[in-house]
Amino acid sequence: MRPPADAIGTLALIVGVIASLIFIGVEAALVYAIWRYRASRNLAGQPATFERNRRLEIAWTAAPALILAAVFVLTLGTMAEINGAGVAPAMRIAATGHQWWWEFGYGGTKTANELHVPVNTPIDLDLTSVDVIHSFWVPELGPKMDMLPGTTNHLRVLARRAGSYEGQCAEFCGVEHAWMRIRVVAQSQAEFDSWLAAQAVPAVTQGGDGERVFFLSNICVNCHTVRGTAAAGTAGPDLTHVASRATIGAGVLPNDVARMRAWLADPQRYKPGSLMPRVPLSDADLDALAAYLGALK
Amino acid sequence: MTAIPLWVRRPAGERVGWLRTVDHKAIGVLYIGMGVAFFAVGGLEALLLRAQLATPEAGLVDPETFNQAFTVHGVTMILLAVVPLLVGFANYMVPLMIGAPDVAFPRLNALSFWLSLVGGVVLYFSFLAGGAPDTGWFSYAPLSERAFAPGTGVDYYILGLAVNGAGTIIGAINLSVTILLMRCPGMAISRVPLFVWMTLVTSVLILGAYPALTAALVMLLVDRQLSGHFFDPAGGGQAVLWQHLFWFFGHPEVYIMVLPAMGMISEVIPVFSRKPIFGYGFVAGSSVAIAFLSFGVWAHHMFAVGLGDTENAIFSATSMLIAIPTGVKIFNWIATMIGGRLRMTTAMLFAVGFIAMFVIGGLSGVSLAVVPIDLAVTDSYYVVAHLHYVLFGGTMLGIFAGAYYWFPKMTGRLLSERLGRWHFWLTFAGFNLTFLPQHWLGAVGMPRRVFTYAASTGWGPLNLISTIGAAILAIAMVVFFVNLVRSLRSGEIAGDDPWDAFTLEWSTTSPPPPENFATIPAVTGRRPLWDRKHPEARDKS
Repeated sequence: MRPPADAIGTLALIVGVIASLIFIGVEAALVYAIWRYRASRNLAGQPATFERNRRLEIAWTAAPALILAAVFVLTLGTMAEINGAGVAPAMRIAATGHQWWWEFGYGGTKTANELHVPVNTPIDLDLTSVDVIHSFWVPELGPKMDMLPGTTNHLRVLARRAGSYEGQCAEFCGVEHAWMRIRVVAQSQAEFDSWLAAQAVPAVTQGGDGERVFFLSNICVNCHTVRGTAAAGTAGPDLTHVASRATIGAGVLPNDVARMRAWLADPQRYKPGSLMPRVPLSDADLDALAAYLGALK
Repeated sequence: MTAIPLWVRRPAGERVGWLRTVDHKAIGVLYIGMGVAFFAVGGLEALLLRAQLATPEAGLVDPETFNQAFTVHGVTMILLAVVPLLVGFANYMVPLMIGAPDVAFPRLNALSFWLSLVGGVVLYFSFLAGGAPDTGWFSYAPLSERAFAPGTGVDYYILGLAVNGAGTIIGAINLSVTILLMRCPGMAISRVPLFVWMTLVTSVLILGAYPALTAALVMLLVDRQLSGHFFDPAGGGQAVLWQHLFWFFGHPEVYIMVLPAMGMISEVIPVFSRKPIFGYGFVAGSSVAIAFLSFGVWAHHMFAVGLGDTENAIFSATSMLIAIPTGVKIFNWIATMIGGRLRMTTAMLFAVGFIAMFVIGGLSGVSLAVVPIDLAVTDSYYVVAHLHYVLFGGTMLGIFAGAYYWFPKMTGRLLSERLGRWHFWLTFAGFNLTFLPQHWLGAVGMPRRVFTYAASTGWGPLNLISTIGAAILAIAMVVFFVNLVRSLRSGEIAGDDPWDAFTLEWSTTSPPPPENFATIPAVTGRRPLWDRKHPEARDKS
């Protein structure tokens, strides 16, 4: 099947050309009328007195109707095509919206904010939300689809080019709507398989001070999971392989140990309103915690 | 020319003042004053939004303030500025245009104005009461439920809109009864001026649409204050139900805001073309068609909700259908100009500007009826651009045309044409600079309602251009306010009929006396004043 984005592109081009022709025609008629009949030209004689022409009026009612009928037929065709046109998806990925981050589920393996897909493969996303309405939108992949609590919607995705695609939530979902960015990584099937295999294994933690801080007073583990440890919170993103992801806070910071430390010190500074609170930690604890998370490749 | 003040005298000669007035003209002026004031406030909110978005990752305002500002900007412009401005002109002009001494229910008229105003005040009181609503003007559930919006902002939104809506509904009853029952002798419904036709159609739309909003607001109030579950999926409710109810109101609301402005330019264009309107029957009839269809297109706001292909296809078809009667009007206005003698006054410039800009909004509207294109660009800046081409490029330019046209009737003085030209061209440039680039921003991925955007997106330059455009637009509005104030004090004296116009409001003094006409006029055609001035060339209809 064609990528949905291409199908929409073709339709948009056709509609765009028709709209441009109508636009040029109407504006030209308007400019002509002003130029030709302006009083400052001191035209001879009296203004015309005609006030109706049934045939003309029927014609300019029927012509747009015919054009729109044609556009509607094309619309129906493209609607069927972008839904998959009978082509079964090669895989399904669960995508769940949270205020203000994304959870992606490959069977039992969960990750966050970064959607990996095999290139040139039709995939269906099963979209839902745990809180308010969000909308999954990666412009280069074509259509968007809302994520509603209590309902599952489906979106056909097909990435033709290997590499990364940027997107973000399109339905206003609260204070940090602007920083709910999506990163899609399209990889060859082999790369994707090895990525998924790596994501599926539990974390190999370095233990030590960082792990001690992570479990301190149940602060981090209340909301976050690190598979392979006792941390099993589900309110925040799964951190089992957090260091493998490109950004922190759904796009608000690039992901490296120094920025992770800054983020941990005060998430509210970078993402005010985020549900991750500022936790008072000593400098030594912050260093250890950032190093611990930075090792979760 | 007698200079009769705007306030009304009771039969005994007692002055009643603005607070107690029941005169339709004074109430019209109050409505317009309310609209102008809220338009200024909503404009300042828009400038704040544009200032924050001028550069990527800016920190001029915090996200909370930004979200309140765009929510209140939308509600203000739609319900507290545009609708009162249109209702205000209708209140003032409709009785004059149909040769009536007042509206059918003058006291009810005062009630509708004060309810509308109090609704606006209640909404703005939220700023003092702990924070304005911050869930967007259509305030989707469950974001607007108490679990996600625990402050009082949404409650003030509910109360403000419900009270304001009650005023608008009462006003619509009043205007429709007035138009149906109070036309002067000879003024058949097929002879009323097109602005009156549009007001009638709009009133019917209000009666159908606003109650749906009121119902939805009450349900949301029950959810928030009485722990109801209408829109709460966790409690067995339906989040999408809010969207159905809201847009059942929301889409007719677009036509409630556009049709009266179309009525205004349908008065202005013939007068300044020195010709009768082309295809009166088509212009009036197409509005009735729009009104019917507008109740069957609401789900085109919801194509990305996942209603299914069948539902989406049906609403796509009805949405395309409504483009036909809308397009017909454009052809009629241009045909009215053909063969005329066009006096390019400021009023006419704004009327022509309406046509030029509304075409863009109409065509982008058709593109949004095409489901796959909508799925790509809905909820993005493309939609922001589209709706401003309809509501600013269309409605506001139409209101400015009406303002320059009718100001002399309402005040006895002309607005300055020199400042008017500055106002028009600055508006035209600023408007297009602000909103044209937003089509591209939306198409490449900028969602609406984001308080900032990453520098890596590359959206900075177009946003900066848009913000510069907004600044120019603000200057244009300052020019207009200066024009209003100066012309009110020292504008050229207008006389009864400065434009050599066609309709009855120009047959009485400027401003008109409290009883409007010394004797109730009788008419024999669509252009009664023309007929009176040119008995040898009377209209036949």
